[in-house]
Amino acid sequence: MYSLTEDEKDVLQELMNVAYGNATAVVADMLDAFASLSIPNIQVLPTHELLATFESMKAESYFFSTQAFSGEFNGESAFFINDISAQNLAKHLELETADDLDDAILELTNVLTSSLTTKLSQELDTEVSFSLPSITKVPLQDIQEVETFQNYSQVIVIDTDLNFEDQKINGKIFILTKDASIQWLKNKLNTILELLL
Amino acid sequence: MTYLVVDDSKLARLSLIKSLKTHVGDDENIHQASNGLEAVSLMENKKADIVFLDLTMPEMDGYEALPKLLEINNKAKVIVVSADVQTKAKERVISLGAQLHMQKPINADKMQEILEII
Repeated sequence: MYSLTEDEKDVLQELMNVAYGNATAVVADMLDAFASLSIPNIQVLPTHELLATFESMKAESYFFSTQAFSGEFNGESAFFINDISAQNLAKHLELETADDLDDAILELTNVLTSSLTTKLSQELDTEVSFSLPSITKVPLQDIQEVETFQNYSQVIVIDTDLNFEDQKINGKIFILTKDASIQWLKNKLNTILELLL
Repeated sequence: MTYLVVDDSKLARLSLIKSLKTHVGDDENIHQASNGLEAVSLMENKKADIVFLDLTMPEMDGYEALPKLLEINNKAKVIVVSADVQTKAKERVISLGAQLHMQKPINADKMQEILEII
């Protein structure tokens, strides 16, 4: 079982903060809106514990979109947006059909997670490539059936909120990585820290 | 010259201080705070001339701390150093009295640019 030290968490949180700031600015331009940024929460969790944390989410169903990335650092970015936020997104973008909304969420996921992961990998001095994002609509009680979570036994969860207060649109972003990437990431974080000390 | 570096991340503080020392040397007074509340308290005692201020922090964020810091020392120059590069975030901190808004991270070249501007 891997874990992150407080220093490793601090470094990852800061790198993620920089990456998320870039990604949010891109999405804010796209939506012509202003997002409030939150401090990323970093945890290493067995997947079943991650799923348990989803129980605290209040909405009944979610649009859940994922995008895999590969390279030395590899895993999957996941974006959750609840029904109400999705409807507010549709209203804000003046979308008329469910297909248009799916398309908008996929584009949002693509822009958000690829900007986020690209910037994070730049900060980690590596390169990643991306698969196409995919989307499913999931009732909360069925979330553990989502295939993504069955691919991981233990994950680094980098969890942050996307929050456009005026438009009442908020979502959650997770970056999930497997054991080999966790060890790679730990080595990288320590190298970054050693260079500063 | 007295400097105050305000960021909840140790990495961000260490990294910025390393870049700062490249230009001003090791002998300057450089103080650190990990949130806005600590920064305000340090400002009351140390009256920093130049403040590097993060925005997203626990306890008190940069938006709330900025006017309080300037209220204590209205001659201080506050450089906001943030990952939030949205246009509205930049406009907001400038309207609150910041001299500059710079995108994280601050390497030695960017620090030189900052010091030349201020």
